[in-house]
Amino acid sequence: MILVALVVATILALILITVSHTHRQMNMVCIAEAGLFLVFALYYIMTGQIPVPALTIGSGFFFIDHLGIFEVLITTVLFLLAAIYARGYVEGLIESHELGKGSLKFFYGSWSFLLMVIILAFFSNNLALFWIFAELTTIISAMLVAILYARDNIDAAIKYIFIASVSMLFSFVGLIFLFEISRSAVHGGTLNWTELIHLAPAFPAGMMIAAFALIFIGFAAKSGIFPFHTWLPEAHARAPSAVSAILSGVLLNVGIYGIIRVFAIVHQTPAITAISTLLAIFGLLTVGIAAFSMLTQKNLKKLVAFSSIENMGILLIGLAVATPVAIFWVLFHIIAHSFTKASLFFSAGILHRQYHSTLSADAPDDMRDVFRFQPLAAWGIILGGLAIIGMPLFPIFFSKLFILTQLAAYSLPVLVILVFLLFITAAALGYFVISTFTQRYSPEALTDVHVYHTPASMKAPIVILLCLLVMMGTVFSAGEISFLNQIVTELMF
Amino acid sequence: MIDPSPLPAIIRILLVVVIITAAYIISTRNLITLVSVYAFQSLTLVTMALALYSYEGGTVLLAIAGITFISKVLVIPYFIATIQERVRIKRDIEFHYLNPTTSLLVSMALMLFIYIGLSKIMEGTPARESLVFFGAVIGLSLMLMGMMVTFSRKRAITKVLGYLSMENGVLLFGMFVTELPFIIEFLIIIDLIILVMLTTILTVGLDSTLEDYHNRLHRFHLVEDTEEGP
Repeated sequence: MILVALVVATILALILITVSHTHRQMNMVCIAEAGLFLVFALYYIMTGQIPVPALTIGSGFFFIDHLGIFEVLITTVLFLLAAIYARGYVEGLIESHELGKGSLKFFYGSWSFLLMVIILAFFSNNLALFWIFAELTTIISAMLVAILYARDNIDAAIKYIFIASVSMLFSFVGLIFLFEISRSAVHGGTLNWTELIHLAPAFPAGMMIAAFALIFIGFAAKSGIFPFHTWLPEAHARAPSAVSAILSGVLLNVGIYGIIRVFAIVHQTPAITAISTLLAIFGLLTVGIAAFSMLTQKNLKKLVAFSSIENMGILLIGLAVATPVAIFWVLFHIIAHSFTKASLFFSAGILHRQYHSTLSADAPDDMRDVFRFQPLAAWGIILGGLAIIGMPLFPIFFSKLFILTQLAAYSLPVLVILVFLLFITAAALGYFVISTFTQRYSPEALTDVHVYHTPASMKAPIVILLCLLVMMGTVFSAGEISFLNQIVTELMF
Repeated sequence: MIDPSPLPAIIRILLVVVIITAAYIISTRNLITLVSVYAFQSLTLVTMALALYSYEGGTVLLAIAGITFISKVLVIPYFIATIQERVRIKRDIEFHYLNPTTSLLVSMALMLFIYIGLSKIMEGTPARESLVFFGAVIGLSLMLMGMMVTFSRKRAITKVLGYLSMENGVLLFGMFVTELPFIIEFLIIIDLIILVMLTTILTVGLDSTLEDYHNRLHRFHLVEDTEEGP
């Protein structure tokens, strides 16, 4: 039933977008759609009816457990805020002729369809079904990257599609392996996660390592793990900022979610030691590559994109530790990173609108007098930057701290290297902010500057996200903790 | 089951045909024949699915043969050929890292590597000595050869064909190794069609000159503008 309602709501949204005439109407539909799904997710979280029985959902291929609804919560919050942000942002794009009026329906249609596909992915019990939805998210989000009339955007989108889709095919071969493994344990075989996790102790380690390694390739590419991260900075930097926030805050989670699910299965088998070493190595390499790329980065959106890569690396290392506490903080890090990163991209979007005339695709950002023209965006970048490097008052402080303390028991050398790399990323962000935000126009040039009047709809999401972050970083409710603990229990860590 | 039936021999021959088409896709510079060769490769897969069906049974194979024929032999090649005509590029002579000869040598090495790797993994299982093993090796080789095409060619339209032949490899591998539920195969085809449509439409923008680009994009892009001639 839930599935039917979900699909019907999306189809309704698509129809409304097709018949609406103005940008505001289409935007309203997307806001309403995301709001509706958010209410749905909150309802299930508040009433505690999780896991939802299969009958209510409508198909045995799908399930709703705590991890699924947790990801859907992040997704719907960010889609809602990004849709509100897009109200002002997309109008700016149309005015500057970066986006054709005729493409609007296509843009919002893909947008609302993407939301449905992501939710269906998080509700998929069958891993092959999850694979297909994850693959669809790549294609649809690539459309959103390519929507701007610029050759660079098409380049970035094509690179994104090919790297992600080619890697995802390896995942599919891995799933075929997993299916074959399950056939030795149960007649007819299964790819249902809920069944696999119980059958897992009987799986042979050698085959499991091969299956995980193949599956990992695809989901690693989706979440920007080294060496499959090369598409990420370009796609995230070129996309319209409202879309960048979705790409970084939601779509990277799809890949990590897949890795978590399959890793939970591996955790039940003897293959766990080999796999956790593999994750730690790739995590460390990812953080390392991101840290050193950030150091030389002069473009704000690319800098923020590399910071996403860094955080995905931290998540992998947290997973590699694989203690219940580490998994708890990995989950907390996921939500904290998503919200922080979205707020950073929203702020970057405002700065991009103010200074876009002087910004070419790869040129260093030439931002002057930011505090005079766009004070909110400037503070958004500073506060968001502090949040992403893990300063107290912000939630990432706790998730990084506890992942690091858990890491100490796992491997001291990894801890030392990771702390060193984290300092580099913090320094890179700090250096960028100090060197860029202190630039000033000469007094004569100041009068010629065209000030971009930031609409309230673009400011509100940043303020809301920053308030949310401070709240998450200072207050821990018992409900929140028990909810995350339930996810850890369901993953059987 | 009659063991000395000619079917296993036919399937082996078909597998060799698949590898020859893959080698052709890797080495050719001619874009027009590339699409036909891809359609031919898919047709070989359809024949193989039918042969496997009469050998092992299983209606899923029949269904796979059906949708593969419709989507990969008819719809996708036709779509790409139409786009190619509009873009009017006939040859793809730009290679990124590998030229055709080295690509062929590398793919031979890859096949050997997959053969050794798979025989290690499948060691001791009854599948090791059968047709399944041979099919799995060819499937994975086709996949890696397709990947080489995707990453060594510059034109997006050739990259698409590389990706498509990769997907053929996955299908081949899946067909021999296991029986996936039909719905999964069906959804993959849908995914494939969307991917092909999107990338080829984007290609129109990328492979033609920038001046033509807007006009061309308007025609495919669901943009509400009047049509213009090329």
